[in-house]
Amino acid sequence: MWKKLVRNPVSLLGLILVIFFIFVALAAPWLAPPRYPDEPYRIPRYGWSSTPRPPSPEHPFGLTQGQYDIYYGIVWGTRTAFRVGLIVVGASCLIGIIVGSVSAYYGGRLDEVLMRIVDIFLSFPFLIAAVVLTTILGKGLDKVMIAMVAFGWMGYARLMRGSIMAIKQEEYVLAAKACGVRDFKIILRHILPNSIFPVLIQASMSLGSVVITASSLSFLGVGAPEGYADWGQMISFARNWLLGTAGNPLEYWYTVIYPGLAIVLFVLAWNLIGDAFRDILDPKIRA
Amino acid sequence: MVNYIIRRLLLLPLVIFGVTIMIFGLMQLLSPYQLVSTYIRSPEELRNQDLDALVKKYHLDDPFYIRYGRWLNNLAHGNLGWSESANMTVNEAIASRFPATLELVLFAVIPVVFGGILLGSFCAVHHNDPYDHAARIFAIVGWSLPDFVFGLIVLMFFYGVLGWFPPGRLSTWADQIVMSKAFIRYTGMNTVDAILNGNWAVFWDAIRHLIAPTITLAYLWWAFIMRITRSSMLDVFNKDYVTTARAKGLPESVVIKKHVRRNALIPVATVAGLMVLGLLGGVVIIESVFDYKGIGLLTATAAQQLDYPTVLGTTMFYGMLLVIINLVVDILYAFIDPRVRLE
Repeated sequence: MWKKLVRNPVSLLGLILVIFFIFVALAAPWLAPPRYPDEPYRIPRYGWSSTPRPPSPEHPFGLTQGQYDIYYGIVWGTRTAFRVGLIVVGASCLIGIIVGSVSAYYGGRLDEVLMRIVDIFLSFPFLIAAVVLTTILGKGLDKVMIAMVAFGWMGYARLMRGSIMAIKQEEYVLAAKACGVRDFKIILRHILPNSIFPVLIQASMSLGSVVITASSLSFLGVGAPEGYADWGQMISFARNWLLGTAGNPLEYWYTVIYPGLAIVLFVLAWNLIGDAFRDILDPKIRA
Repeated sequence: MVNYIIRRLLLLPLVIFGVTIMIFGLMQLLSPYQLVSTYIRSPEELRNQDLDALVKKYHLDDPFYIRYGRWLNNLAHGNLGWSESANMTVNEAIASRFPATLELVLFAVIPVVFGGILLGSFCAVHHNDPYDHAARIFAIVGWSLPDFVFGLIVLMFFYGVLGWFPPGRLSTWADQIVMSKAFIRYTGMNTVDAILNGNWAVFWDAIRHLIAPTITLAYLWWAFIMRITRSSMLDVFNKDYVTTARAKGLPESVVIKKHVRRNALIPVATVAGLMVLGLLGGVVIIESVFDYKGIGLLTATAAQQLDYPTVLGTTMFYGMLLVIINLVVDILYAFIDPRVRLE
């Protein structure tokens, strides 16, 4: 599988981009030394005027509304993106795996109840559900993450359940049961290792879309607090500066394009890899 | 078919029960004092009484099952509370904003669905050609573009540089005509009302404001529909009846149009429900970007101002809307695919 990923130019590009972003996230303290070492995520300001200033040698990507340094925000925003993406995907995947495996293994009435709960959670558009819960909890990045996990686990639960249903009938599970192995141990030792892969792949592919949603919430103004290094917020700063001045309609292009490019490339990287995965794993399309 | 519809309708109360439980559950995260705002009908109520009295008045300190019953009763009477951000009751706000959103979605859905299906079948027919690769890259990029980034770039280019498609719903002059007494509001949808009133200037102005959001929605959703149509058509290409059709000597275009595409559209119809979910969510962002005064913008501004009643009320509305849309999609699906209704 690894070989196939590297051989395909499209997924190779994705891989290179992901490695690049991991590098930026790890090297953030060297790429953009923080002005406030205790709060590295606070973007330094270089003045109080609201009008953005174009790129210059000191500020390679320019200063956005409120004189926040765009370069600094993007570099540290990479860390925010990874943190939000990994926490949300990890937590919702874990909940999904637990609910899905319990539901599939025990079946019967418990399964019925759990799956109806899944249906209820699925009856709202994900973005709107996330907005509502974030609002109710009060704004903030941590609340965004809680809200996204609360409404993000259902897909994994369904996938896990389906995958276990298929494996439950296998003879080695029956054999373990006949030997009197405890339920918990059967799930952990025999069923999970054989059914978890589709879920993990799905999880790795959804990292990009999770980052989109989180930055959408920041864009709407319920996510990261002002001045926090977050791509979505950097773009919301740009909203008032789309039009430029009379003679030069694209005067403030850097306020949208740089943060926008960061998000697009990040998400693109994960989607390229995901697309290749799908082709590798789906024999129908391969043939 | 009738049996299937009846069975599906019998499930409806259960689903609605689920939606209301969810919203009520979310409300329980708020304190009784915050909850008061979802019960009152006008701001005067807040000014004239102290909060404790209001909590008493609406029995917000009762056990939850009693409150749930009373809340349902309240809902059934269409009372969703007072919207601070819209300065009217929540149901008035929803009623006044919904036609705008409906107009946008209806305007966008046809180019989105047909464009996506055409692109997808084009890719499947040219499987592994340079065309296919180009279209796939186009789709992956579309799928990776966050709607707010793409929307802002569309706005910057088509409004800032070219001046073609301004944000908002209408230009100021058109807005004045629409607000005047002589212009009768039949549906609240500007394009439809303009046609009914025979005012073509307003009609074109409304269209001009719809194009940019539609471009944004369309590009993002083409990617999605295209991908599903493509893989589903590739799947059908391997079926025996397609081989049979080819063996009979049918021209390839007939095989593709009549045998492959029709059967390949079944899975596409299944994801229609999913697409509606995404469109409704996307509308919140798109309307904020283009300052389009629909229900999505209502939710977004309310969320920024922590206006709970509006956020909860609109969510309730989205939930109910989805229940109805899913019902329609399921019935249509059973109509297209006989295997479903005979199960």
